[in-house]
Amino acid sequence: MRRIGFALAAAALTLLAACGTAAPEPVAYQPPGPPRADATFNATDVMFLQMMVTHHTQGLEMVKLARTRQTSEEVAMLAGAIEVTQTTELEVMRGWLNSWGEPVSAGHDPNAHASHGGLPITGADEMAALRAATGARFQTTFLNLLIGHQHNAVEMARTETDGGANPQVKDLANRITLSRDEQIKQMLALVAA
Amino acid sequence: MRRLIAYPLAALGLVTASLMIGSPASAHGYVSSPPSRQALCAAGRVGDCGPIQYEPQSVEGPKGQRNCHGGLAQFAVLNDNGRNWPATSVGTAVTFSWVLTARHSTSSWEYLIGGRRIAFFSDGGRQPSATVSHQVSLAGFSGRQTLLEIWNIGDTPMAFYNCIDLQIGGGGPAPSPTAAPSPTARPTASPTARPSTGPSSRPTVRPSGPAASPSSRPTGTVPGTEWAAGTTYRTGAEVTYQGLRYRCRQSHTSIVTWEPSYYTLALWLPV
Repeated sequence: MRRIGFALAAAALTLLAACGTAAPEPVAYQPPGPPRADATFNATDVMFLQMMVTHHTQGLEMVKLARTRQTSEEVAMLAGAIEVTQTTELEVMRGWLNSWGEPVSAGHDPNAHASHGGLPITGADEMAALRAATGARFQTTFLNLLIGHQHNAVEMARTETDGGANPQVKDLANRITLSRDEQIKQMLALVAA
Repeated sequence: MRRLIAYPLAALGLVTASLMIGSPASAHGYVSSPPSRQALCAAGRVGDCGPIQYEPQSVEGPKGQRNCHGGLAQFAVLNDNGRNWPATSVGTAVTFSWVLTARHSTSSWEYLIGGRRIAFFSDGGRQPSATVSHQVSLAGFSGRQTLLEIWNIGDTPMAFYNCIDLQIGGGGPAPSPTAAPSPTARPTASPTARPSTGPSSRPTVRPSGPAASPSSRPTGTVPGTEWAAGTTYRTGAEVTYQGLRYRCRQSHTSIVTWEPSYYTLALWLPV
């Protein structure tokens, strides 16, 4: 859908340029394609992408549910922006795993974090807590869950930053770290308000 | 290309900071509302906090302490009362909400003011649910108080520590002159309790049409304005970024990484 809109816009731009309505500006905008990943990668890159695919999918479920409930306008805007940007990230990550011939998700091992001293909060836990929250409690519950969820994304990104090999995947991990850190700032302000 | 380079550089300081403090895996929870000191650091409302801003969930230390930083030297800033932590105005019945990143089996949750325990919730070793909140009565307290909240873990000798600065009783910064005999003694405390800095307090723009009065709109909607983080862009707003113009496709408050790029084609369309 977005790609189509984008292609149309790009086409319109090209048309405009062709009509010569403007001086020969430094020519037509090149729509960016999806970032490609180099063929070199290690097990950490694969594990990180697989875990993030699962994690993103869970996050998307949360923001989609939030958009069906009563929240402040700021929260609705944030949920909407997270939805569309994480959807694109998800497509990119799946594309990379596919191009490497790797499965796009790892079975979620409930004991994966046991060595960290605590059970992780799974997508099912999050969704159950979210569905159970009603009225004014919904927004607080949603924000607290999503803040924790994004903290977990930062922790996962750190494993890639420390142990990954593929430069594009490491760039994505950096992108996720920065982005989630900023989202957490917005949400902490919203939940404290 | 420029963008690709920018991220790793920007992230470097952040990642380095978190590596220095070691094992991030021991991170697990903090009070977000009313905001604990670590939450204020992570939200950017209090600056110069050091590494705690990147992992507010990590204030874990041996049980039985009565401080704000769990005895961790790298988080000592949390125990520094000289930092003029903004206090949140509350009544005498308060709901404290947690952010959890791992669900440890839990012995108990303790709330203390001035060394006196005012609330205690025993979980008997159970695993908490994905979100936790507690209703606590602050009856008998007024004025500015620092509340200490401790999450005692069930199967380890460890606990998580939070300090929360409160202005109790009445909604205003100076609710009762009697309770605050020397308002000048803490000039920054109350006025900053509800600052207008966070995204939440940006003027909520009229819900209706995009054609609302141009003069009162955020700067981001002026055509040709350079994209900037921390700006609320409405659908239809136009910006320039790296010499190209874009139109906002979906209202949002911008953050770094949400500038026009492949990843944000759903937010920004080239025009």
